[in-house]
Amino acid sequence: MHPAGLAAAGTPRLPSKRRVPMSQPGMADPHQLFDDTSSAHSRGYGAQRAPGNLGYPATSASPQAAFLTNPVSDMAVAYGSSLAAQGKELVDKNIDRFIPVSKLKYYFAVDTVYVGKKLGLLIFPYLHQDWEVQYQQDTPVAPRFDVNAPDLYIPAMAFITYVLVAGLALGTQDRFSPDLLGLQASSALAWLTVEVLAILLSLYLVTVNTDLTTIDLVAFLGYKYVGMIGGVLMGLLFGKIGYYLVLGWCCMSIFVFMIRTLRLKILSEAAAEGVPVRGARNQLRMYLTMAVAAAQPLLMYWLTFHLVR
Amino acid sequence: MMQPQQPYTGQIYQPTQTYTPTTSQPFYGNNFEDEPPLLEELGINFDHIWQKTLTVLHPLKVADGSIMNETDLAGPMVFCLAFGATLLLAGKIQFGYVYGISAIGCLGMFCLLNLMSMTGVSFGCVASVLGYCLLPMILLSSFAVIFSLQGMIGVLLTAGIIGWCSFSASKIFISALAMEGQQLLVAYPCALLYGVFALISVF
Repeated sequence: MHPAGLAAAGTPRLPSKRRVPMSQPGMADPHQLFDDTSSAHSRGYGAQRAPGNLGYPATSASPQAAFLTNPVSDMAVAYGSSLAAQGKELVDKNIDRFIPVSKLKYYFAVDTVYVGKKLGLLIFPYLHQDWEVQYQQDTPVAPRFDVNAPDLYIPAMAFITYVLVAGLALGTQDRFSPDLLGLQASSALAWLTVEVLAILLSLYLVTVNTDLTTIDLVAFLGYKYVGMIGGVLMGLLFGKIGYYLVLGWCCMSIFVFMIRTLRLKILSEAAAEGVPVRGARNQLRMYLTMAVAAAQPLLMYWLTFHLVR
Repeated sequence: MMQPQQPYTGQIYQPTQTYTPTTSQPFYGNNFEDEPPLLEELGINFDHIWQKTLTVLHPLKVADGSIMNETDLAGPMVFCLAFGATLLLAGKIQFGYVYGISAIGCLGMFCLLNLMSMTGVSFGCVASVLGYCLLPMILLSSFAVIFSLQGMIGVLLTAGIIGWCSFSASKIFISALAMEGQQLLVAYPCALLYGVFALISVF
């Protein structure tokens, strides 16, 4: 069954036998303005219309059918459908150039156990011993299998939760309006972008060869939103004291977490193992790591203090 | 051109009829009485809508992965309009917010589920599931018409209904997409989305 004219809503269904038979194969059903190509199992244009070809011409006995059996409108419908299909193909081909979808999939290969352990690690990193990411034949193992691997699920969810909690906090102070939500979201996103660019710039200037990709960096910098959410929620429940206590604790934890994680990525191998290596280069890398880690608590405070009164 | 290994299993001397015309053939372009009923043309099947509604309303019943094979947006449209109508009864004219939030939420869930699952998912499927699981939220907003939800009971009720909605949605998603060990991870963004709807109902 086909929806008449509502195919933009995208309802891929197998055609039933009671469908109107077509006089020409490969033409779209006159009920449907666009062929539905939205699902992965979409049919080809005339692939399933073969059963309907046995000799039932669509004669127009009534005037309202005359318009739609007009060959010109058939052609227009077919042209429109092919245009839509071409557009979709173009988008699919080019989306990979701007957003590396398959690389992003690695960062979302998480499960509940991993997320639980990682959140625990973000709040209490002091007892964890081994911070190395395990490798499997040159590629890092998926986050599902190693708690040290960075992921993008937690930062993404934490960012969205932060925006909503900020809206909630402003709402309880009667300062809420929906455009403020958008303002909060864009300002937090802007700070994140500035941070990422600044760190990339300093890594470039220090000429460090790391395997720290940009997406990795975004993931690490996104972990601080977890602490921020905790602080604001405690501030909502218990006032300023609760906010400062929880925020202080989370700031310390994220500082230690960042140092221990980035140390393995930015510093040279020898220095990472704790052997003191002299040399201006390593000094510079050490300072860079410390600076990145110290920026986290500052930003955490800056983005939340105006939410708690 | 057939390959020699593939035997022809049809009948050689009689043409097989691949299309059997039925007597009640809806013949478009013929008489007015012979046209198919409007609902059938539009693809709105009330029986299927009812089946899916029952799946949402029994959160503990195991969902069948194949129910979401045909995505239909008629049921979700009805539920969204009903939600807007119950908000209207409480004096809040917020159809625009409902539309905007559901559009952004569906887009976000679509991106997330495509990144998290092995098989992809179509936008229509995501919109359909999220729309069906909006049904308990309609209960919440109809409560809000009668008594205010800003007390302790209101908070508990809101939390319960958000949990119900997101649990049903995540249950359907993981059975349709065969994702293991990720139900809570899918339920959390659904809970955020339904939380925003609840915010509209409560405040």
